[in-house]
Amino acid sequence: MLKFVLRRLTFSIPVIFGIMIVTFSLARAIPGDPCLAVLGERATPEICEAFARRNGLDQPVPVQLLIYMRNFVQGDLGDSLRFHRPVMELLTERLPTTVELGCFALLFAISVGVPIGVLSAYRHKSALDVGTMIGANIGVSMPVFWLGLMLAYLFAVLLKDTPLALPPSGRLTPGANPQPFFELWGWVLEGQEPAGILVFFSRINTLNALLTLNSELLVDALRHLILPAVAVGTIPLAIIARMSRSSVLEVLSQDYVRTARAKGLRERNVVGVHALRNALLPVITVIGLNFGLVISGAVLTETIFSLTGVGRTLVDSITSRDYTLVQGFTVVIAAGFVLINMVVDIMYGYLDPRIRFN
Amino acid sequence: MEAKPAQLEQAGHARSANLWLEALYNLRHSPSALLGMTIIGGLVIIAIAAPLFATHDPIKTMIGVPGETGRLPSKPPCIPWLGCEDPLHILGLDLNARDLYSRVIYGTRTSLSVGVITISLSIVVGTALGITAGYAGGRVDNVIMRLMDVVLAFPALLLAISIVTILGPGLTNALLGITITFIPQYARLSRASVLSIKEQEFVLAERAIGASPWRIVLAHILPNAITPIIVQGTLGVGTAILDAAALSFLGLGAQPPTPEWGQILSESRNYLFTSPHLVFFPGIAIMITVLGFNLLGDGMRDALDPRLNRN
Repeated sequence: MLKFVLRRLTFSIPVIFGIMIVTFSLARAIPGDPCLAVLGERATPEICEAFARRNGLDQPVPVQLLIYMRNFVQGDLGDSLRFHRPVMELLTERLPTTVELGCFALLFAISVGVPIGVLSAYRHKSALDVGTMIGANIGVSMPVFWLGLMLAYLFAVLLKDTPLALPPSGRLTPGANPQPFFELWGWVLEGQEPAGILVFFSRINTLNALLTLNSELLVDALRHLILPAVAVGTIPLAIIARMSRSSVLEVLSQDYVRTARAKGLRERNVVGVHALRNALLPVITVIGLNFGLVISGAVLTETIFSLTGVGRTLVDSITSRDYTLVQGFTVVIAAGFVLINMVVDIMYGYLDPRIRFN
Repeated sequence: MEAKPAQLEQAGHARSANLWLEALYNLRHSPSALLGMTIIGGLVIIAIAAPLFATHDPIKTMIGVPGETGRLPSKPPCIPWLGCEDPLHILGLDLNARDLYSRVIYGTRTSLSVGVITISLSIVVGTALGITAGYAGGRVDNVIMRLMDVVLAFPALLLAISIVTILGPGLTNALLGITITFIPQYARLSRASVLSIKEQEFVLAERAIGASPWRIVLAHILPNAITPIIVQGTLGVGTAILDAAALSFLGLGAQPPTPEWGQILSESRNYLFTSPHLVFFPGIAIMITVLGFNLLGDGMRDALDPRLNRN
């Protein structure tokens, strides 16, 4: 197993380097002078020269790449040209929004998709099965941004003043200023700069609410999360439901399931223990692959629901040519994608020994 | 081992002809493929004959046009067959007082062509890369496939956004950006087919009698690789249409006043709470189109996969 994990790790390293080179080149290729984009009218040739020197833009491009890689390994992603703050700081501030949205979207997709898929396979060709498949087909065909807008209209306009009304924008009710858990626990004294990792976790509102036992905050955060998470999670849900259905269908026709039934096992055990375990293997891969969909969905959904997450910041920064930020955010997202796929592969290898030895 | 390429090839052709006939038969008996084909067929007719279906010029503002007295730019949907007295604009007018129905009708052209062109381009490039990688093996294979891994490592939409930003917003560049994100899928598929077939005896026999690599690729490898690519391609058209609409929605794809569904959505999203119909109809149009390709793709997968038939 250790050998398998190591081999998988060594596969990922060149890909991450490739990502860094591609992102670096893409960011340089964005047309327009960053100096002009950042300083606008104030940009005179002298000021721009100083700007280039300060940001290392006067070095040859390969040198810039090497410096960038060295800094990246040390956790320094440079300063954002637009915000004049370290990209790492912006990342710890904005990534939690996207992580929280993504986790809830996947949670929604898995917790609804897997049971629906399994049930419709078990009741193959029943009304439930046909309905699920029609629903799943419609689900994968819906544009995320359109679904988001429609949900916002339904729950914020049509259902306004009913108990079902949900807020169409933001992460918390305006004015809410939750106390981070590390302050409440006295880990960080007032006036002290908290560690980035603490800030990161405290900005995941639902987690912070749980850690500070603040039920009001939890409800508020969840209410704001429902619509964007459903919008982002719908396509993965449809894919997961289809995958679990076909996978369970295949397993249910296997000899060992028949044997289990012949032994007189209870139906619950046949399906729950013998069939599900094997059927859910491919589903794990699909869940890992859906991470990309979740990120793409987050870019669009954050725009619709006015969430200042990684996706929206990235799109805004591309248009304003803040290439240090674009570079940093893209590398982190892509590297995260590679790592998640690696974890999925390793899990798969753990669950299915045949893969390890191939 | 005695090689009889002519006979082998003949046998191969007979088998593949039967497979195609069988596939066609399966396709005609698959409800989802039929429904998908009907939807796509209808959309193709609408796209070709858009001027016949549209009631107005899709980019013409109705202000100051005779017979269009004092209409508000964004009024709720007014559908004649539901008892509305305004038969002029079936789906109402958009923010610039253009006929929404005609815009949605003309949008069919853009979306269908974007979907089909992107996927055709990426199939051509991807298959060429995949076959080269699989056939050449060694270092060439390694370089091509690692490059594909890197492209796959980026979430598709994000990569497309970055590419379009570099090339500049516009429909053609959006098309190119999306094409690049799709290439690895086809490269992987075709490479896998090459690898599975390259060492088989009939290919070795061909090579032994001195057939050129081109002949081997065109006569043996491509026909064997094509089925999964067609299925993946049909499903891909739907995704490409969704991506193109998303890019237009972000302002990076089709530019106003081009009637494109994502672009119409993007123009009207700030008016969601006052005139939701502007958002509703283009979205439904996207959904129906993508659904058509997904249904056909699903049906084709079932029809073309010989392994499923045996069960």
